[in-house]
Amino acid sequence: MASPRTRSRALVLDRGVGPLFLTPALVLLALVVVGPFFYTIALSFTNLSYALPDHNGSFVGFDNYRRLVRSDPVFWDSFKTTLLFVGAAVAVEMLLGFGIALLLAGRLARQRFVLTLVLVPMMLAPVTIGLIGKLMLQGEFGLATYYLRQIGILGEQTAMLSHPKLALIAIVILDVWQWTPFVTLVLLAGMLGLPRGPFEAAIMDGASRARILWDITLPLLRPIIGLVLLLRSIDAFKEFDKVFVLTGGGPGTATELLSIYTYRVNFREWDLGYGAVCAFMVYLVVLILSSVFYKAISRRDRTAER
Amino acid sequence: MSQMSRAWRGAVVALVVAIVILALTPYLWMVLTSVKGRLEVLSDKPVWKFSPTLEHYGGVFIDKKYLPLVWNSAIIAVGTTILSLVIGVPAAYVFARSRFRGSEDLFFFFLTTRMAPAISVVVPMYLLFNKLGLLDTRLVVVLAHSTFNLSLVVWMMRGFFAEIPPQMDEAAQLDGHTRAGAFVRVLLPLAAPGIAATAVLCFILSWNEFLYAFILAAFDARTLTVGIPGLVTPHGTLWGQVAAVAVVATLPIILFTIVVQRHLVRGLTFGAVKG
Repeated sequence: MASPRTRSRALVLDRGVGPLFLTPALVLLALVVVGPFFYTIALSFTNLSYALPDHNGSFVGFDNYRRLVRSDPVFWDSFKTTLLFVGAAVAVEMLLGFGIALLLAGRLARQRFVLTLVLVPMMLAPVTIGLIGKLMLQGEFGLATYYLRQIGILGEQTAMLSHPKLALIAIVILDVWQWTPFVTLVLLAGMLGLPRGPFEAAIMDGASRARILWDITLPLLRPIIGLVLLLRSIDAFKEFDKVFVLTGGGPGTATELLSIYTYRVNFREWDLGYGAVCAFMVYLVVLILSSVFYKAISRRDRTAER
Repeated sequence: MSQMSRAWRGAVVALVVAIVILALTPYLWMVLTSVKGRLEVLSDKPVWKFSPTLEHYGGVFIDKKYLPLVWNSAIIAVGTTILSLVIGVPAAYVFARSRFRGSEDLFFFFLTTRMAPAISVVVPMYLLFNKLGLLDTRLVVVLAHSTFNLSLVVWMMRGFFAEIPPQMDEAAQLDGHTRAGAFVRVLLPLAAPGIAATAVLCFILSWNEFLYAFILAAFDARTLTVGIPGLVTPHGTLWGQVAAVAVVATLPIILFTIVVQRHLVRGLTFGAVKG
């Protein structure tokens, strides 16, 4: 740890390069993030549309927001679908990921190799994940469809992707397949970083595996579990690529997540003023979740410094 | 070793093997599909044994002219990686070494740009770049991808710089370097492994990205990920070709992942958890 004296000296020395080093980054972000953000807000008060005549972007006040709250059940349906998707996918990922991390934590020798294999789905482009899902779940020749029918889970004529409820389950399964490795990876890193003392003491006292897990591992891991939970929730809330490729939001609107709906309003219906409101709503939710994440890590860093 | 714990051990190994098989089978199935004949792809009973063919690779990359898409993906990924590093590494250094009023807020701001949902950012980007006549160029995709890569660089590199003792900076300055000179001559070489890992992660994120590229560059500058869904049609998808493109899109990434595995945890949790 740096002594207070070196810290203050570094501060003085920084005065010269600080602005020089920071400005380019801030300018670039202003261009690609801040600008578009305020442009979205501005758009949301207009009636701009590339599809309707005479909708050239004149000011309409809060009309678009009124429409969102009062007369767009499809938006709220997709909001519910999104929450259902996030809840189900993240819950399963956390449980499975934690279980697999526990399995691997005890076997240091083989772990690196096994871990590399298990990580593969997480690093593939989400678009290819969607395609793999489609290939596996095809009604006529999908590999998973075939075996699920063999063991009687799926009916002879049922195809998951053309059945509203099963399609929703399919996108959850696909997300679980892709992201459980992430949960495993981070929780495993957390487990391996835990102090050994409490565990040795518990073993000396003859505590059972279950007791150790419940009374020591889980409480010690709680901060990391919280972070993973938040990160996964934020990412799942933004999900677009896989679902776009796998179901396109269908059948009907059964798997139409908020991001897919926003895409449809903007780039299929070209209803850009209203589309800006939808985009802004997605942004808002993610912004709130990110600030919770940030609070959590800065609180943890402060306690670590003490 | 007692009988009981040997059985326990066997069960654990069996479970781990089952998990690995579940994790890998879908991917391997796609790799197999890319080298199967047309009829074997469409067979309603899964075909595990067949004589491999490369016809789909030729069919899509040469006949359907998908080769330039690989080039687009590579140029865009390298472009955004360089841009994000050149701009982000010095900024990360400032965050690692000094606290000033508002530095916490600024740092949070970088995080929010990493978290920003692509669907929300891409709508105004599309309209702005459309007005500027820049749609369908590699440049706009590079700029769009720097929204997430720049903050990835800042967050990851701050951690790496923080691990270098500040005494190194001071020693370099005592040797007669200016502050900026010390950064370039001493700090950058020390941080080189971190920079390399960060670069690979930037490359992967850009190469895998879909939504920005799909909306902003749908034709001449389209990337490999954007080209894939275009091959899926409601009637008569050539799955062999789809799989062939997907294999080319994923193989380099799997190799890269092995290279940076040690730094993955840090990269994917914004430095919140050290691997």
